Amino acid sequence: MTYTEHEHIEGPTEVSEFEVLERAVRELAIEHGLFSAEDHRRFTEWAEARTPAKGSQLVAKAWLDPAFKQQLLSNGTEASKAVGVDWLDPTGKGTPSDYTYFYVLENTPKVHNVIVCTLCSCYPRPVLGMSPDWYRTPNYRRRLVRRPREVLAEFGLHLPSDVEVRVHDSNQKSRFMVMPMRPEGTEGWSEEQLASIVTRDTMIGVALPNPEWTATNPPNAKTGARR
Amino acid sequence: MTQRRFSVGDRVTVRDATSLFHTRTQRYARGRTGVVTEYRPEWVIPEDEAWGRDEDGRHEPFYVVRFRQTDLWPDYTGFDVDTLETECSERWLEPEMVGTK
Amino acid sequence: MSTTSLNARFEEITRGIAGILPVERTPLDSPYEISNETYAALRTVLHDVGGQPALPEPYKEKGEEAWEMNTYVTCECLAWGGAWNAEIRRRAENDLGATLYYGLPYYARWITVAAKTLIDKGLITPDELSSKIDEVRARMKEQS
Repeated sequence: MTYTEHEHIEGPTEVSEFEVLERAVRELAIEHGLFSAEDHRRFTEWAEARTPAKGSQLVAKAWLDPAFKQQLLSNGTEASKAVGVDWLDPTGKGTPSDYTYFYVLENTPKVHNVIVCTLCSCYPRPVLGMSPDWYRTPNYRRRLVRRPREVLAEFGLHLPSDVEVRVHDSNQKSRFMVMPMRPEGTEGWSEEQLASIVTRDTMIGVALPNPEWTATNPPNAKTGARR
Repeated sequence: MTQRRFSVGDRVTVRDATSLFHTRTQRYARGRTGVVTEYRPEWVIPEDEAWGRDEDGRHEPFYVVRFRQTDLWPDYTGFDVDTLETECSERWLEPEMVGTK
Repeated sequence: MSTTSLNARFEEITRGIAGILPVERTPLDSPYEISNETYAALRTVLHDVGGQPALPEPYKEKGEEAWEMNTYVTCECLAWGGAWNAEIRRRAENDLGATLYYGLPYYARWITVAAKTLIDKGLITPDELSSKIDEVRARMKEQS
């Protein structure tokens, strides 16, 4: 995957017409009382605080506590409160695009789950933050449902023929997150240590957790060497 | 609370209806047969919500339907064990149609 | 319908859609007549892309720019305030037509349909939007 962080910082550039349009719509909406500047600020504050860390915490907790795991699998929306995620935030009725029906999909030795939204880009923002750009592309949406093993292989994930690849096409009001299996080599780890290896991609289902690989400390990107 | 028409374990076929402008029932699922694996709440149907009838739109039971991938795609390249799940409102489902697989 | 005929029809519509995608464009310039097959491809609900033919391409991580995050929040706030809902937004994206749906970046699609829906619903007027756009652009140029 490519992180194009320098794409848009090249000295003085033209004013972006999309930025112009967004500001125009926002200012008109506020002038007409469709929402307030305060609403926009509050929602932004909420959105910017969303990261995959909450999802990682949910998984780590479930790995350590069988009772919590049962709760998470039977009522994900309610169980999210254990890590401080209230699906009713920030409006009191949930977000308009994510709704309040959260389901956690458990990977087992025989079933591997992976999520997609072929119709748009439905994603559990309250627990995983904003979706990766590739997740929203027509390419991922076109291919994951029909050629899941090929797409997973492109992410470096090869699964044996006796493991059922179960694609979840999130097409209504449910939002899904994958609970990967706890890998070997993590015996005795704390909840915090465990959470560190439950990366965003493992909760989408395009990767598996690896005890040597955390989101903040991946294998050396320059040399490709594992620590 | 309306009476649900389908139960977990029922084999159901997705209706093969014509859609114009907007739908949340994927083309690849039309006419295909799968198994109900879970219930979902009674939600407003997208056919109403997409045109602004949300609170006062028609609400009905939704279901999770699981398909075998080999039943969905003309040339599925994975393995026979592979599956796909998606959700359907009741109006999109029929009891398994005879003659379909 | 038998699995064979379902498969055949899926393949047929898939080929038809491929014909109107930007990569392999059938000339369309308000033809005098079109076949039912072409019509079926043209009226396919645009966002329903699952299973369409596509070759592998690099999966990129770009991250939200400021205007993109603002667009997301503006669209959510419009729904929060009751001006529309998320499903109206998704439907309106389909209503843009293939050229705009595939031509615009993800969040540009969102903000475009937000503007259009506000006009459609009579919440703002087209001339009001035009003036505001010109005013905002002038202001931003002065500030930059």
